[in-house]
Amino acid sequence: MSAATAPVQSKALRRLFLTIFLRGRGARGLQKQSAPKSIGRKLALTLAFYALFGIFATMFITQGLYAVSIYLHASTMMFIGMFVASSAGEALFNKEEADILLHRPVTPQALLWAKVRVMVEISIWLAAAFNLVGFGIGTYLSPSRGMFVAAHAVSVVMDALFCTGLVVVTYQLCLRWFGREKLDGVITTAQTLMAIGIVLGSQLAPQVMMRHPERITSTFHSWWILCLPPAWFAGFDDAIAGSHSVSSLALGALAVASTAALLWVGFGTLARDYGTGLQAINETGPARSGGRPRRQFFKRLTTLIPFRWWIRHPVERASFLLCTSYLMRDRDVKLRVYPGITPMMMMPIIMLLPRNGTELSRGFMVAFAGAYLGMIPLLAVGLLKYSQNWQAADVFRAVPMTGPGPLYDGLRKAVLLVLTLPMLVILALIAWAMGANRADLLMLIPGVITIPVFALMACWMTNPVPFGSPAESARSAGRGWKIMSGLLISMPIAALSAGAKMFGYFWPFIGLEIVACAIACQLIQYRCRAVKWKPIDEDAD
Amino acid sequence: MIAVRELTKLFGAQKAVDNLSFEIPAGQIVGFLGPNGAGKSTTLKMLTGMIEPTSGAATVCGLDLLKDTLEIKKRIGFVPESGAVFESLTGLEYLEMVAALYGIPEGAARERIKQFIAFFDLSFETLTEKLLGAYSKGMRRKVVITSALLHNPPVVFFDEPLDGLDANAAVGFKTLIQTLAREGKTIVYSSHILDVVERVCDRVIIIDKGKLLLDGKPEQLVAEHNSGTLEHLFTQLTGGEELQRRAEDFAKTFRA
Repeated sequence: MSAATAPVQSKALRRLFLTIFLRGRGARGLQKQSAPKSIGRKLALTLAFYALFGIFATMFITQGLYAVSIYLHASTMMFIGMFVASSAGEALFNKEEADILLHRPVTPQALLWAKVRVMVEISIWLAAAFNLVGFGIGTYLSPSRGMFVAAHAVSVVMDALFCTGLVVVTYQLCLRWFGREKLDGVITTAQTLMAIGIVLGSQLAPQVMMRHPERITSTFHSWWILCLPPAWFAGFDDAIAGSHSVSSLALGALAVASTAALLWVGFGTLARDYGTGLQAINETGPARSGGRPRRQFFKRLTTLIPFRWWIRHPVERASFLLCTSYLMRDRDVKLRVYPGITPMMMMPIIMLLPRNGTELSRGFMVAFAGAYLGMIPLLAVGLLKYSQNWQAADVFRAVPMTGPGPLYDGLRKAVLLVLTLPMLVILALIAWAMGANRADLLMLIPGVITIPVFALMACWMTNPVPFGSPAESARSAGRGWKIMSGLLISMPIAALSAGAKMFGYFWPFIGLEIVACAIACQLIQYRCRAVKWKPIDEDAD
Repeated sequence: MIAVRELTKLFGAQKAVDNLSFEIPAGQIVGFLGPNGAGKSTTLKMLTGMIEPTSGAATVCGLDLLKDTLEIKKRIGFVPESGAVFESLTGLEYLEMVAALYGIPEGAARERIKQFIAFFDLSFETLTEKLLGAYSKGMRRKVVITSALLHNPPVVFFDEPLDGLDANAAVGFKTLIQTLAREGKTIVYSSHILDVVERVCDRVIIIDKGKLLLDGKPEQLVAEHNSGTLEHLFTQLTGGEELQRRAEDFAKTFRA
């Protein structure tokens, strides 16, 4: 590449990837008959949403600068980490992109740089929006006022670089250690676990902070804080604009050193492997057999009683097997679904944590934990309608079916069996491990009974033709209002269950609930089965 | 212009391309033929630097495929079978992006794009206003062909270029590649539409299971094998006659 071409090329690549990040890769869901005049409006909305979330920082205003700073960095890292982890797979290793760009005179390093630069830029915008309120609170708490803004601005940029570097290094190491053949599968698993870890960490950290504020200090007594990256970056803020203590300086130095090391390893030492990874994605070798046994497992499962009866409709069975295959194999689907439902698992666990209170309030919390599990199908059903292969779902319209009802049923049952049931078992085991007694565990029952209703409600609300909508639309999948409606149902159920238990009517209440849920299921199912195909453009999302 | 020596590509234990050797001089249109899974696309991807060969060597424009990959990429154009484009870009945004990757100045790129638009009968408005995702398959293919020729490369690889083009566009395209070859460009043309290959190409290379089966002028090969047409010769060589019998048997299964 000549010296004159390189800047032009770099500018073109940056513009390309920035446009793709903001508009998405596919065109369905966009007003494709006319090019978007501005991508700024969508971005402004996203930033406003992040800024709103930033208001939660006010909850920590009484805990001192260091604690506020930890909260800000932990949340920033979660948001950025989630964004980078979910975008990086598609951005770094996109199969279609190989056909478009790999035969052009572009080095793999130039491609990597352009993509990473865009990811870092967007991360910084998101982080800045989220930290708007935090800047104000930090300035209020900091003895050196204005210095906090400068220090926190630098540390937020470091957050963005750290998260992006971490994701890129994870990818490169997967490539180096596991080789080309296993690249796709390993990267998917690594990315999914990373996203789940980020979600879990961000859910747990504020809980720990709120329960043990006395332990959140930057002194060497809280040695365990060294294990938490957000604490390093908070140390940077504290060293410059807070206590200026030696321990804060050490933590701040750790933040700078770790970020520098990640950038050096990710974009220097390991960047050479990126070209190899791109080629691996582009090679169309014989199909790997990785996902086959699990699909066979589910296929066999559908032939066994009671599943043979439960999933007896052939279209329903086909839809069930399609969904289980994607849940086991497809990187894009895994990255959307598993990290998407993980927080729904964390909340019930937090609710089960031992706490003081009346019998009524304890009963309510356990019942609420059970009912909250209904969020899993409520969200997962909606998430399974998105895929990068959404155009393939047009095949459902070509077959002689009046509507997508049986497809909904297969999808719903896959969610219940593959996602909800294991989560339920895990929750029960955790509750048992936490010392919950039989009476406590019984309080999970009212919530469990409502799970099929939640799953059907999700079908009713989202019309989930399996993998029939473009992946880009999933970003606006209306998670907020689904969670709100889920809460509106689970809270009264938990309250009624706790009340019924206290007054000795628990089992009659359960009987009544079973009847009510069965009727609701029948009604919603009838409604779902009566749904006719919508025109294809309306169904785009 | 292109020299391939014992080129081999393994995917795991499977040989996609097996010791393939041939040479193509400048200004020739070569039909690169083979049944599905014969290794055509893999060979083209290797020659365009998209994937690395497992063994063997090749030169394109006198440059070594492994050592001078980037220099080769500057001198070639490629129309992949997938016809993939960035769907969320407009046609013009896409072509301008490609031009920038080859270092073509913006003004010059606009001029060339306009020439191609005129040739392919595309409206400038469509190119500037609509996202590529809204284009028909044929229109998208025209944009991909334009993107492969925009930097005026001496060697062009086409993998099923007529896929999606209407009859008029296809005729225009065939004339275009013949003209390009007369001006000294080397064209490698992979297709399943054998009568087009027979009419357009100076020479055909037929491969199957990654191995070279035949290499020569279409009329000469047809005469040597007494086949009548290239299509007949192709089916003779690649087991197509057996396929015809199987198709007849299969059709019988539909009888009531």
